[in-house]
Amino acid sequence: MKSENIVQDRQPQPQEEEEIMQQEEEEEQRFHVLAVDDSVIDRKLLEKLLKASSYQVTCVESGEKALEYLGLLHHSSPASSSSQHHHQGSSWKDVPVVVMSSENVPSRISMCLEGGAEEFMLKPLQLSDLHKIQAHLLKSLPHS
Amino acid sequence: MDVVNQLQRQFIDYSASLHREGFLDDQFTQLQKLQDDNSPDFVVEVASLFFEDCEKLINNMARALEQQQGVDFKQVDASVHQLKGSSSSIGAMRVKDVCIAFRSFCEAQNREGCLRCLQQVTHEYSLLKNKLQTLFRLQQQILAAGGSIPVVE
Repeated sequence: MKSENIVQDRQPQPQEEEEIMQQEEEEEQRFHVLAVDDSVIDRKLLEKLLKASSYQVTCVESGEKALEYLGLLHHSSPASSSSQHHHQGSSWKDVPVVVMSSENVPSRISMCLEGGAEEFMLKPLQLSDLHKIQAHLLKSLPHS
Repeated sequence: MDVVNQLQRQFIDYSASLHREGFLDDQFTQLQKLQDDNSPDFVVEVASLFFEDCEKLINNMARALEQQQGVDFKQVDASVHQLKGSSSSIGAMRVKDVCIAFRSFCEAQNREGCLRCLQQVTHEYSLLKNKLQTLFRLQQQILAAGGSIPVVE
């Protein structure tokens, strides 16, 4: 499993969106998906697809908002937040990332996969597409 | 005969015609399948978001194309790309198809072609809006008569 940090040098393309998944360490053990898309329609569809597949969902509208949500953006002075960021940075390292796009550009898809994405999905999404990522999530579970 | 059956028949026929005439494609059926007791108004909600988004994007395109001192085709294309994406996600096939042609004209920096496409996309959008409103009205009538909405494959 690729262990690259989610905060990568590559800038997210406007046409690409990222789905970042985190395992909930609570009583339900349900996956919590952070769904990122700049289209309000796609966010609504994604939210419904994920909920219908029993995931918990949080939707945000941009890569920047996603990083903010994960606590990976610098808001305050480096001194006060640096240690906190190091801790949080490493805890996100193993979170699976799935990239979606409406455009089927092989070179861009390869770049995403080589950059550490688990899977690439072509929009528009359907329920059957979510079954594909199920397998990736189960793989990422720690063995008890 | 039974009012509910009649309405359901109408709904099925109308749905089928929308698909046959290319207004809607399989993605719309996918949306209908996602609708359930937890989100009984899902399709109507998505459609409303789409109409709002459509109007906003069409206005953006119109404004950008009006610029006499030089059209920013990248800006037009960005809006068309967004509309293409959302129409694809909702299953609005005819709107999506116009967007595909529209993008070619943006790439070619062809203002006349773009203006024609803008006209077409506006036309297709208002056609679809009317048709979906009719479809949703039929749905409401079925529910009000105590029936359930048939699943159209």
